[in-house]
Amino acid sequence: MIPLQSETPLPDTIANLLGLSGLLGTIVGALLGAFLIANIVLLQTAVAGPWAKRKITAAFTDRISVNRVGPFGLLTIVVDAVRLLSKELVIPDGVDRPAYDLGPLFIPFSAILGFAVIPMGNGIHLADPETGLVFAFAAASMASLGIMMMGYGSDNKYSLLGGLRAIAANIAYEIPLVVTGASVVLFTGTLRMSEIVAVQAEPLLTVAGVTIPQWFAFVNPFAFVLFVIANLAEVGRNPFDIPEAPTEIVAGYQTEYSSVYFVLIYLGEFVHIFLGGAIAATLFLGGPAGPILPGFVWFLIKIWGFYFFTQWARSAIPRLRVDQFLDIGWKGMLVLSFANLVLTAIIVGVIA
Amino acid sequence: MSLEKPQDEQSNAVVAKPTTGEELAELLGDLAIGRDDHMNAPGFVIRPTDVQETLFRLRDDAGFDHLSNVTAEEREDRYETIYHLTSYDDRTREVSVVVPTTKDDPRSQSANPVFRTADWHEREAYDLIGIEYDDHPDLRRILLPDTWQGHPLSKDFDQRRPQVVTLKEWANPLADDHRDSEGETMYINIGPHHPATHGVLHVRTVLDGEQVADVDPDIGYLHRCEEQMCQTKTYRHQIMPYPDRWDYGSAGLLNEWAYARAAEDLNDIDVPEYAQIIRTMGAELCRIASHMLAVGTFALDVYGDFTAIFMYAMRDREIIQNILEDLTGQRMMFNYFRLGGVVWDLPEPREEFFEKIRDFLDDLPGTLEEYHDLISGNEILQLRTIDTGVLPPEVAKSYGATGPVARASGIDYDLRRDDPYGYYDELDWDVITDDGCDNYSRLLCRMREVEESAKIISQCVDLLEDWPEEERTIQSNVPRTLRPEDDTEIYRAVEGAKGELGIYIRADGTDKPGRFKIRSPCFSNLQTLPEISNGEYLPDMIASLGSLDIILGEVDR
Amino acid sequence: MIGLLKSMATTMKHALDGETFTVEYPDVAPEVSPRFRGVHKFSQERCIWCRQCENVCPNDTIQIVQDDQRNGEQYNLHIGQCIYCRLCEEVCPVDAILLTQNFEFTADTKDEFVYNKEQLKNVPWYKDIDPLNSREPDRDAWIGEGDGEVDYQ
Repeated sequence: MIPLQSETPLPDTIANLLGLSGLLGTIVGALLGAFLIANIVLLQTAVAGPWAKRKITAAFTDRISVNRVGPFGLLTIVVDAVRLLSKELVIPDGVDRPAYDLGPLFIPFSAILGFAVIPMGNGIHLADPETGLVFAFAAASMASLGIMMMGYGSDNKYSLLGGLRAIAANIAYEIPLVVTGASVVLFTGTLRMSEIVAVQAEPLLTVAGVTIPQWFAFVNPFAFVLFVIANLAEVGRNPFDIPEAPTEIVAGYQTEYSSVYFVLIYLGEFVHIFLGGAIAATLFLGGPAGPILPGFVWFLIKIWGFYFFTQWARSAIPRLRVDQFLDIGWKGMLVLSFANLVLTAIIVGVIA
Repeated sequence: MSLEKPQDEQSNAVVAKPTTGEELAELLGDLAIGRDDHMNAPGFVIRPTDVQETLFRLRDDAGFDHLSNVTAEEREDRYETIYHLTSYDDRTREVSVVVPTTKDDPRSQSANPVFRTADWHEREAYDLIGIEYDDHPDLRRILLPDTWQGHPLSKDFDQRRPQVVTLKEWANPLADDHRDSEGETMYINIGPHHPATHGVLHVRTVLDGEQVADVDPDIGYLHRCEEQMCQTKTYRHQIMPYPDRWDYGSAGLLNEWAYARAAEDLNDIDVPEYAQIIRTMGAELCRIASHMLAVGTFALDVYGDFTAIFMYAMRDREIIQNILEDLTGQRMMFNYFRLGGVVWDLPEPREEFFEKIRDFLDDLPGTLEEYHDLISGNEILQLRTIDTGVLPPEVAKSYGATGPVARASGIDYDLRRDDPYGYYDELDWDVITDDGCDNYSRLLCRMREVEESAKIISQCVDLLEDWPEEERTIQSNVPRTLRPEDDTEIYRAVEGAKGELGIYIRADGTDKPGRFKIRSPCFSNLQTLPEISNGEYLPDMIASLGSLDIILGEVDR
Repeated sequence: MIGLLKSMATTMKHALDGETFTVEYPDVAPEVSPRFRGVHKFSQERCIWCRQCENVCPNDTIQIVQDDQRNGEQYNLHIGQCIYCRLCEEVCPVDAILLTQNFEFTADTKDEFVYNKEQLKNVPWYKDIDPLNSREPDRDAWIGEGDGEVDYQ
């Protein structure tokens, strides 16, 4: 029998540090590890949501943006958190209660769950199951369920349209995403995240004394581009933000949410972007690998790079129409991703 | 007369058409029961039952294919509907058709089968004055709520009577005929507050999946009685601040010119040449500012967020607003024109002011290049806008579309050239047209018009700079109180930012207008929305709405 | 695809050049053109109570109360109702009412925007600039010919 999980660096490290062992050590280590990971992720989101997003958008549009509270306006994060949480939670009549309330919880939790299997470098890696990659994809796409609950439970036609669009988008782009991810798995021969990272550490070629590692973005740039585009659609960013589409369906599935629920949704979206970035980094950019700086810093740079890219795309690329969006998903991305998979399989077969 | 008539033969063809009062009287024959000439055009009184026949004859035999405006008013002894007709080929040909109806049964035939634009205009007449139109497909209130009691511009309306406005749920007009095994339609209210309606517009939309099955724009949320307000102000000074507030998307001077032109022609006031050049320059600056706003918000509708292009457009509009602030003293609500001229000469030091404008004009090509990189060259935007919101020229004419909306449908119609006023006919510039008829052409059309306006401004600046100091007359001598003769009527239009902005004034012998009617280009342009968005996807409906570039202040007045 | 990349390059160019056009308003007082029309300032010393401004005002913003000898008692102006058309300044033969460049006014209720003559007198000049010189008030139009010639009492 294949063990479900091999070594679990972070919980073990914590347990060892505390001098605990056995079941207690596993539980305490796992809990503390999860707490640490969740906090790392939420910290990124806190910076990204109220502050970095505004600053980046402002840079693209020739503005200054938040600068009144704290250095570079950083304390805006605190101000905004207080402001958002202290707002009135308006729950409209006629909402479908359990679904309406559970939806906003699903989005951040599903995304944070995905981070459990992401190797962040420097031993920060909560779990490393045999099925790591599949787990990450599965956790990420659970958000769709939450979106559907919100869209349906809100008793609002805009929400319903947004929910339907989100589901359509997820189905259309999840397949290319996973299939492109599978092309990497063909190279590595494993779904375990730590091994995917390890394979990429090997040198691809050496140019003038500089060794270029075997990152799959270098090995197969085409797959990388496909993956990033599908990822944009998966996390619902421009030009694929049709589930929200403010000018068409107001705010889509989140139209009826305010206060804490809104914060949860907003938070979840940002965690989702970072998860998308983390998966892309792990699969294509060597995970936490990089010269000089410690691995964890490289990991952060990579996920922030992806985040920055989403904001850049947002500043310059118009939203697609819903039918064009699905056309591109089903007729373009799907075909290309399968072509990529077959091609990779042939190449891998020939090399092997 | 065929529609495919080449441009250069037009002038010959026009000559053959009846234009003068006598020729038209001959054409109409027994249909005309009297004459009621206006200052701008011959007017014919007809029977309320002959409306369609008369208009058909004028349209098909005399080429009056543009129902510019419909004015309704209540006189002492009768109700009157006036159809202001003109021609897209030659704007200087005008005719008014006056349809009097009795006081006790104000009922006349609808012009709707002849000109589809009459639909909304007659609804407005019904709403505000209380004239009923036979054969009208949908005679409902348009500006006021359905529950309104009485007709506010009729003489016996009691202003103090409280109005009870009940709230009720809108019903899906297609609920019954689309309910089958295939699926159902969904009715959604887009607006009155919605991120993409550019103000308080309510679009009653029926969706079939994501596709638009039925659209009915519901306007009137911003109705501020502008016409009635102008009827309570004096011609000389008090009306002028109000036009700024019709199309408030920085098109103030263009609107002021509409009133100035009508009132100056009504009172026979000359405007000094120098003032005309300043007016032309200011108006074109306003047009650029207005088009910048249009391009920016259109991009906003397509892109979805406060994207870069919107901010860049606003930033460049800001420069124009600064220039206009130097010139007029206000950034949007200018009140700069006066009857007979303008209120202020150019600000001192003049060189600095010219320098500012020239700097802006020098940067403009680069700015526009950047816009093209950002929007019109963007493949996704092209994917979104080309062949969506198609408005064929015949439909545009029937709906009375004007301005960039008409010109993007290949209609070569621009009042600045076709009915010259100001200093336009002395300057070298072109009318922009595009044959695409879709959202993309409307976008391109606006961006190219900005270039033409820049050409006009730069010529004006050159002229102003060399103008001899002793001849800088900014106002002619205008009597302090203006009292045009009783019963003189005039309809005059200018090319506003959105199209033909016309004013109809009937003088009643006092220093205030007896009837003041605004022909708003947005009102007619918005009417084409169902035509261009039915059957398309919801996002395209939003984009089409953005490309029509409506300002609700001007639609509702 | 080229167009998309061009779009993205354009925004990136703007992000990198570091130029901003934000006005840091409360910290930096913006430049206001000399002709700008803001809150009114009234000078009782100059006023001859001819009531021209009250007459010309398009929307009844100015209310003047006089005693039976036509001496001025009150001069009230609703700066929240005003449309800043400047006709009152234009008509005034003695520059008693002027529109300053001051665009900042706040109040808790609409009623507080009704300024009496004392409040109007105390409206500060914006950046201490008296805009009268740059206004070049041209009153030819007001003493034109025809009916209703100017009657300053």
